[in-house]
Amino acid sequence: MISKKVCMLGVFAVGKTALVQKYVRSIFSDRYLSTVGVKISKVEVNADGVDTCLVLWDLEGKDFYTEINLPYLRGAMGYFLVVDGTRRETLDTAMELRAKVTEMVGAVPHIILLNKCDLKDNWEITEDDISALEKQNIPVVKTSAKTGQSVNEAFLSLTRAMHCFQST
Amino acid sequence: MRSNKDNNLSMAMGPIVDDIVKKSMHDKMRDFINAMFPLMGPAIRKSISESFRAMMVGFSKSMEMAFSWKGLRWRMEALRTGKPFSEVVLLHTLVYRVEQVFFIHSATGISIEHVVNEGADSRDAVMVSAMLTAIQDFVQDCLASGKDGALESMRHGEFTFMVEKSPLAYLACIVRGTPPESLREQMHICLETLLVKYADELERFDGDTAPFVTCRPYMEQLLDAHYVDEGKPAPLWTKMLFGLVFLAIIGAFGYWQYENHLATEEAAAFRQQMREAVNLLRHEPGIEVTHINMRENAPWEVFCLKDRLARSPEEVMLEHSVDPSKFSFQISPHTSHEPIIVEKNVKQALNLPPGVNMVLDAGGSLTLSGTAPMEWILMAGNKAALLPGVTSVDMSALSDPRMNMLKEMTSVVENVTISFPLNSDIPYAEEMPRLVHAVDMLVTIEHLAETMGLSVSLSIYGHADPTGTDKRNYELSQARARTIAAMLYNRESSMPVYAYGMGADQFPGATGYDARKRKIEMRLRFTSSVQGLRENFKF
Ligand SMILES: Nc1nc2c(ncn2[C@@H]2O[C@H](COP(=O)(O)OP(=O)(O)OP(=O)(O)O)[C@@H](O)[C@H]2O)c(=O)[nH]1
Ligand SMILES: [Mg+2]
Repeated sequence: MISKKVCMLGVFAVGKTALVQKYVRSIFSDRYLSTVGVKISKVEVNADGVDTCLVLWDLEGKDFYTEINLPYLRGAMGYFLVVDGTRRETLDTAMELRAKVTEMVGAVPHIILLNKCDLKDNWEITEDDISALEKQNIPVVKTSAKTGQSVNEAFLSLTRAMHCFQST
Repeated sequence: MRSNKDNNLSMAMGPIVDDIVKKSMHDKMRDFINAMFPLMGPAIRKSISESFRAMMVGFSKSMEMAFSWKGLRWRMEALRTGKPFSEVVLLHTLVYRVEQVFFIHSATGISIEHVVNEGADSRDAVMVSAMLTAIQDFVQDCLASGKDGALESMRHGEFTFMVEKSPLAYLACIVRGTPPESLREQMHICLETLLVKYADELERFDGDTAPFVTCRPYMEQLLDAHYVDEGKPAPLWTKMLFGLVFLAIIGAFGYWQYENHLATEEAAAFRQQMREAVNLLRHEPGIEVTHINMRENAPWEVFCLKDRLARSPEEVMLEHSVDPSKFSFQISPHTSHEPIIVEKNVKQALNLPPGVNMVLDAGGSLTLSGTAPMEWILMAGNKAALLPGVTSVDMSALSDPRMNMLKEMTSVVENVTISFPLNSDIPYAEEMPRLVHAVDMLVTIEHLAETMGLSVSLSIYGHADPTGTDKRNYELSQARARTIAAMLYNRESSMPVYAYGMGADQFPGATGYDARKRKIEMRLRFTSSVQGLRENFKF
């Protein structure tokens, strides 16, 4: 069995925990219980016939990552940068975070999740922002932990990316 | 029922992670220790005090057991194995069971392999190993880095988590009850074996655990359990009978057994000594022990990485009166960034003069302060930042005292102006003492600069007042500068002197007759002969 350490990163309340819950247990709750420290869950996924165990490290969200959080990133083989589509600044922080993470664990596969797309009317992130990201070749997926939109796809494509990354 | 208990296990760990982290978020270290102690305090304490406490418990038990079937059997065992009786009792009475053994990849926290005792449920292995790693990441971070910060065991409720670490991978045992000290030793040996066996696979680990299936047998050896035998107490007469039998055995075989006992004890003590000796190296700055090959009847092979500035393993051993020939050291060079070594290297490379104070913080910031010769300051400035382990250099509080003197004298000289009578290149007579003083000072400056590796040149600027033609004024101003230059030549100075006539035009706004404008001024320029300082400088 192949195991992969995957980190969930992003500002507080963007929906990291909600996405993990939705993916691992198919449940969604409107209650916001802020994560303290790190919550770890695992899930098995079959990507292109390869059974893979994802060990998901759901980290506490912060406006910035202090040194305390960084050790948890050690050895990450892939990560999600979760952004709340209704808060423009969470995207900027995600990009700063991306630079820090790259410095620490290298350019491992990662995907930006523009979450809460069920609240599209309140979105502050524009199509221009998204095409700017795509121009930089950063994979972006619009998700909703509430409706489940593209959640499975996102985890699957990160798993695929990690397999490709490993074999190159 | 078993699987139920294992679920308890991972549930028990969840709050540990959350709680510890929560507390420490705010006040870091201090609160962290307070928060940790009730949970993990016993674990952070070193094993010595742990086992000592256990021995005391064992000892009081051993008194009760002295006259029973078991007591007799254990006394026999004590004689056979050479262990103290109390330890044998301890081993037999403590209930413990190694429930699970994990082989965990250090960086990712991924469980490479996992074995469980007798059909236990292993579904939580992935989670437990990741949580253990998270806790350790956290502990290591909070207790500041360094060898002593690593968590070796912790206790939570009925479980003890024991961890045997190495940079690449570690072994963790989850034990119900109080594990015996020997388990630590077994874990150590098991980990060393796995590290050697899977060195390449671990180095390349990308999450695929398939190459590691063959490590199960090694790990299964660690699955061990001990229970108290809860038989009825033996009747008094048997106690007495066996007491007599016991005495008889002692009487008959006493001496022989005693010898035997000593020999076994000696062997155990020897191994212990060897291990302690290797530990000396583990604590030695600039030396990393990577693995040990404990050979029978041959020197133990110790593989280590060594910085060129670290002491040799032999030297470390000798210092502690250990005979180095008991070991064969396999040394690979490396560059250590341990603060002590970095500091040593900096001191050696810079060859600090006595007046210099050096502070090197854990982050590699080097601060040099105090007084030192100019040449040294320039050299240090060029060299220090390039030394391994040094991230920044602050020399703002470093100065050469001669530099200040030089600065002062220079400013005195540069403030001297010598005035001349109308249409004359010989200064006013009353200017002579000041002129002589200035020239004396120039000679002093020259000598001082020389000691600092600086060469100095003097430019003398002569001026004239606007009376007369430009041509005449130019000649006059130059003649005045030359007069002063000549005085220096007379003093046998080797300082290059340049005399410039500035004419009368050089005074902006100068009009008419003005004695203050018939004068010379002096400017000094210093050049470093130390390589690396390209620019000249002026005060
Ligand atoms: N409408 C909507 N709400 C969401 C979605 N995802 C998360 N939420 C809500 O947003 C809030 C925060 O979600 P969490 O998943 O706890 O956020 P988090 O990123 O884990 O936050 P921290 O643990 O504090 O860093 C919760 O109230 C969720 O119910 C989504 O896709 N749509
Ligand atoms: Mg969360």
